[in-house]
Amino acid sequence: MSSHEAHIGPPKWSTRLLKYFLRGQYLEEIEGDLEEVYHDLLSKYSKSKASRLYHLEVLKLIRPSLVRKFSGSQKLNNFGMLKHNLLISIRSFKRYKTTFLINLLGLSTGLAAALLIFLWVEDEKSVDTFHEKDDQLYWVMSNFSINNDVNTWDYTSGKLAEALLNDFPEVEDAVRVGNGFFRPRGTIKFDEYYFEANGLFASPNFFEVMTYEMLIGSPANVITDKGLVVISDEYAQSIFGTIENAVGKTISWDNRIFSKEFIVTGVFKAPPKNASKRFNVVLNYDNLIEADRWADHWNGGYAQTYVVLKEGTDIDAFNAKIADYLTINTDSDRFHLFVQQYSKNYLYGKYESGIQTGGRIENVRLFTYIAIFILAIACINFMNLSTAQASKKVKEVGVKKAIGANRTALIFQFLSESILLSIIALVIAVGLVKLVLPQFNTISGKELVLSWKEYILPTLLLVLLTGFVAGSYPAFYLSRFKPVAVLKGKVSNLKGEEWIRKGLVIVQFSLSVIFIIGVIVINKQIDFTQKKSLGYERDAIITFREGGSDYSSPQPFFDELMKIPGVLSTANMSGDFLAADDNNSGFSWIEGTEDDDNHLFDSPKVGYNFIETLGLEIVEGRSFSRDFNDGVGSIILNEAAVEYMELENPIGTKIDWGDDREMEVIGVIKDFQYGSLHKKIEPLIIQFRERGKQYFVKLRPGSETETIAQIEKVFQGIFPGQIFSPTLLADDYKSLYDSENKVADLSNYMAGIAIIISCLGLFGLAAFTAERKTKEIGIRKILGASQLIIFQLLTNVFTKTVAIAILTSVPIGYYVANNWLQNFAYSTELSWWIFAVAAISAMLLAWLTVGIQTLKAARQNPVDSLRAE
Amino acid sequence: MKKTKLGELEELVLLTVIVLKEEAYGVEIKRELEERLNETLSVGSIQSALKRMEEKGFLKSEFGEATAVRGGKRKRIYTATPLAIQTLEEIKEVRTLLWASIA
Repeated sequence: MSSHEAHIGPPKWSTRLLKYFLRGQYLEEIEGDLEEVYHDLLSKYSKSKASRLYHLEVLKLIRPSLVRKFSGSQKLNNFGMLKHNLLISIRSFKRYKTTFLINLLGLSTGLAAALLIFLWVEDEKSVDTFHEKDDQLYWVMSNFSINNDVNTWDYTSGKLAEALLNDFPEVEDAVRVGNGFFRPRGTIKFDEYYFEANGLFASPNFFEVMTYEMLIGSPANVITDKGLVVISDEYAQSIFGTIENAVGKTISWDNRIFSKEFIVTGVFKAPPKNASKRFNVVLNYDNLIEADRWADHWNGGYAQTYVVLKEGTDIDAFNAKIADYLTINTDSDRFHLFVQQYSKNYLYGKYESGIQTGGRIENVRLFTYIAIFILAIACINFMNLSTAQASKKVKEVGVKKAIGANRTALIFQFLSESILLSIIALVIAVGLVKLVLPQFNTISGKELVLSWKEYILPTLLLVLLTGFVAGSYPAFYLSRFKPVAVLKGKVSNLKGEEWIRKGLVIVQFSLSVIFIIGVIVINKQIDFTQKKSLGYERDAIITFREGGSDYSSPQPFFDELMKIPGVLSTANMSGDFLAADDNNSGFSWIEGTEDDDNHLFDSPKVGYNFIETLGLEIVEGRSFSRDFNDGVGSIILNEAAVEYMELENPIGTKIDWGDDREMEVIGVIKDFQYGSLHKKIEPLIIQFRERGKQYFVKLRPGSETETIAQIEKVFQGIFPGQIFSPTLLADDYKSLYDSENKVADLSNYMAGIAIIISCLGLFGLAAFTAERKTKEIGIRKILGASQLIIFQLLTNVFTKTVAIAILTSVPIGYYVANNWLQNFAYSTELSWWIFAVAAISAMLLAWLTVGIQTLKAARQNPVDSLRAE
Repeated sequence: MKKTKLGELEELVLLTVIVLKEEAYGVEIKRELEERLNETLSVGSIQSALKRMEEKGFLKSEFGEATAVRGGKRKRIYTATPLAIQTLEEIKEVRTLLWASIA
């Protein structure tokens, strides 16, 4: 052994670790042993390997018989202090039971609400992020400028994907899928059974870019040919029993776009819960081109285009490069392309005038704020109640300081009390969350689960933070007292501290009042959307779709339907009425000019009897009618369109559309709400199509169930194999506001929780005040004060505080509510009574909470309170 | 008193202590056992066995000399107590009898 080696000591930090955890009496011996071991290791291995093995040896020394004990004279640092603090905390919990219970109740419901919101937010944020190349996967969007306005469309030409791949080096891969309107649905037939299909046209490389898991088959070659399809595992199980049975089977698929046979080549795992796109069959995009040549044309908007950009691509620069790409390839300079990260589109999906303005992220933010506010309210309870009890705790602080405790130790003590409390609250909160999660899932329409593996760290952080925030003010406040003053009985500056407490109550109640205002406004708006006259009937009307490829005249079907006694009227249209997404431009109504106005008109295509069935009101001219042999050349305008076109005698006006079609206005109808109330009433050109596949049947009230059964029979007879799923038009209309309804439901509950927690705090404070003033009350009563006067005396303080809270919160509430209502084109009024109701209910709640305590104090026999010395 | 048990590793360590006599300290016991068993042992396992047995009264110990290799720290030399020897003999006897009944 050379002397040089002898000088190399073992790694320092390991030795330091050793000193920290090893029992003192073993230290010299084991440290020596280890040095020897290190020496042996050095003679065998390189220095780095020797050090590594040495570290391992040190770690292996951490065993119960060798490490320091947690108690006794050989305890770990600070453990004794911690134990003492814990003991003090538990004693104080026992002594002030009401305070403890109020804090615990407030914190645990607050934490439970925050946890639920946290789960919901995380789930919203995870949508579509499961694709392997998530950070490189982008969606090509197009801004369509027309008449000083810009519409943002998420669909583009079917040719775009390949062209981008060829022309831009940044693009690593590209995929096109048929857009929402061009999704093959209908039914798939196998072995005489029919199954509802929800298909997706896609490029052959779809599964390589969008990594939905492939269970059977390789992602690269499942849909290489027009005749091949790949189906989801759930779908395979329902058709074939097992997923293995599916491969190689031939199925026939009939929908409004095609009717063909396919061979199943593979099975993919159904899109996960957090996928925004849902489908159970995927087939080659070429099938769509075969059915409609515009699907592969620069001037068609049939596809959604997704691209994988090379790592490190500068998105802004890329957007600038592709912005005018369509101008080169189409004859129009109205389209401007840009990309948006695929997984971002779910949360940031709303555009106004071509600029990203939000989307679901607004709800995510809203609920994040609500969670923070609820927790803040619960924390304020803790702060208020502990500082209110300061006078009881100052003696403890004084004694501790006198025997040498420093301020840090005291701060640590109070913080450990609040953190202990919030940990207990967490346990209860988790139980609460488990309990209400099923209901929460029903309300929010999600399938959330509380999984510890993922959330343990953020949850613990949340709890520590809550404990810290709640405990910080009392800790710093209480630890400040001077021992001499305190022990002499002089507790100064209680005035200033009372102000802070009042301020905190003001904050709490302001938040509560804002919550109340929010709840009233949301519910009022929802009520408004449901009750507003839309200009058409939606109550006794059922609607259903026939998804097959047969486009023969629907007349025989109507004739059969009209034989059912419960059917009052029937109609059809093509496209979806409530989605209101069917629009056209290129109409020209001033003679001699061409394409004189590029206005984009909403333009539903309806069949005979549509206007009558939905009860739309004709104000001039006539409706579509068999007697006049109406064809695609007949159109009906709404009043808004007449006004927009400035037509004096609308009936008979000729309107050119594109190059080759002349149409004539045959009637004008009264304005009605086309689509949801998010949309304004716009100029409307109603066109005629005899063979639409969306059916409407008006039922005779009273025998709806039987009538629907009869309609189903007729439907199955005429469209064998198609699935009949009728819905009430009124229900469909309601579901246009799904997102608002969910927000409303959730915020109702959250507001309730916030208010309850605020009241709990107030209750605690009132109890405390009443207790502190027992003697004063006794003396006043002896001198002749009535119960009413005592009651006023005690409630006055709180009345003032809550009144200030109301005054501060009303303007904020007005601002927030007004902002939210801007989302609707037609909204309910923000009448003064909303604020009055919010204010009065907050005040009543406060009085009620305080009143219970006060009444008890006011009715007490003065003898009891004065004798107790 | 409840009869004190010896674990397998403890028994081996104890025997090694007796074999090594004056040289019976931590690392030396580890080296000796590693050689005999032909496997690597950690300092931790040897030390905890030693400490446990000392607590049970099988071992006594005192500080020995310090060396440069040990960074100037003293060795702790272990010696077996009469109780240890007695227990070892008991174990051996039980085993011999068991083997005898197999044969």
